[in-house]
Amino acid sequence: MASARPDHRALAEALEHRVLDGPGETDPSLRRNVAARASGGTLMEAPSDDLARQISESACRVTDAQMASVLAAAGSEKAAFEIVAAAATSAGLLRWRQGIKVLEEADNAPA
Amino acid sequence: MRLPEIDRGDGLGSRLLIGFISTVSGMRLPDAARVAFYHKHFFGRPMGAWTQAAMRGLSDWSVGERELMAAMVAKWNSCAFCVGAHAAVAAKVMERTQVDAAIADFRASSISDELKATLAFLEIMTLNPMELTAEDAKSVLRAGVSVEALTDAIAVGSLFNIITRYADALGFALPTDDEFYRAASMLLKRGYAS
Repeated sequence: MASARPDHRALAEALEHRVLDGPGETDPSLRRNVAARASGGTLMEAPSDDLARQISESACRVTDAQMASVLAAAGSEKAAFEIVAAAATSAGLLRWRQGIKVLEEADNAPA
Repeated sequence: MRLPEIDRGDGLGSRLLIGFISTVSGMRLPDAARVAFYHKHFFGRPMGAWTQAAMRGLSDWSVGERELMAAMVAKWNSCAFCVGAHAAVAAKVMERTQVDAAIADFRASSISDELKATLAFLEIMTLNPMELTAEDAKSVLRAGVSVEALTDAIAVGSLFNIITRYADALGFALPTDDEFYRAASMLLKRGYAS
C-alpha cells in the first residue's frame, strides 16, 4: 500500500492527455471528436459517430457489426482500439469532472 | 473479443507473457489483462497507473470496499464481466454473502452507512451524471465520509465507467465462476499496474 494519497486529478489529466492528444495511429483530432461525441457532443462522421454514441449510452449493446464498421474505416485494429479507448475515457472523465465539481461545491458551501 | 490482435497480443513479448501466465495459472488469461498488455504506451500505462492508485493506493476505503464499488458500477452499466471479476475480488476480502447482498440491493445490505451513502452518489454519477448535485455530495459528507474518501470513490467510479465501456465494446469473453475466483487471487496479489 502506498504511503501518500493518490493525486487523482493529476492521474486523470495524464490519462486524458495521453489518450486524446498523444501520439497514436489515429489523428488526435479524430480522438477529440470521438471524445466530444461520447460526452453528448455534436455529430461526427459515421461509423465512429455510431460507436462513440453507443459506448457512451449503453456499451453493453455494442454489436459485432458496429465494431467491424469502425475497424474497416479505421484501417487497423490499433486505430479501432484508439477510438474505443477515446470514447470510453471521455464517458468516464465526464463523470469524474461532474463528481468533483459537485463535491467542491458542497465542500465550499457555507455550513 | 472483437479485436483479435488484443486476444493474440501485439508483439512477441506480449504473446510470450500471455502464454506464460496462462500456462502457470492453468486458465485462459482474462481479456482485461490482455487489454492491459495491448498498445500499452497509448492506454495501458496511464490507465493502469490511475487504476492501481485508486484501487490499491492509500485510502480510507478498504480494498474490498473499493472492489465492491467497481462491481456496483459494473452492475449499473450491465457489464457482466466486470460484475463477476470485481465481486470475486471483493469476496476474497469480505464475506461472500455480504458482497452478493450488496450487489442485489446495497441499501438493504449490511455494508456500512458510509458506503451506502457513497454508493447512492456513485449510482447517480454513473446513470445520470448531469443530475448530480452538491446536495448529493453533502448527503455523503453528512453520513461521515471525508472529502478525501469521497474523492477516492469518485475516482473508482469514474475509472469503472471507463473500464466497463471498453470491456463491453470489445466483447470480453465471460470466464466461468471458477476462473473468476482464480483470477481474483491474481488481481488481489498483483494489482492493476501494467
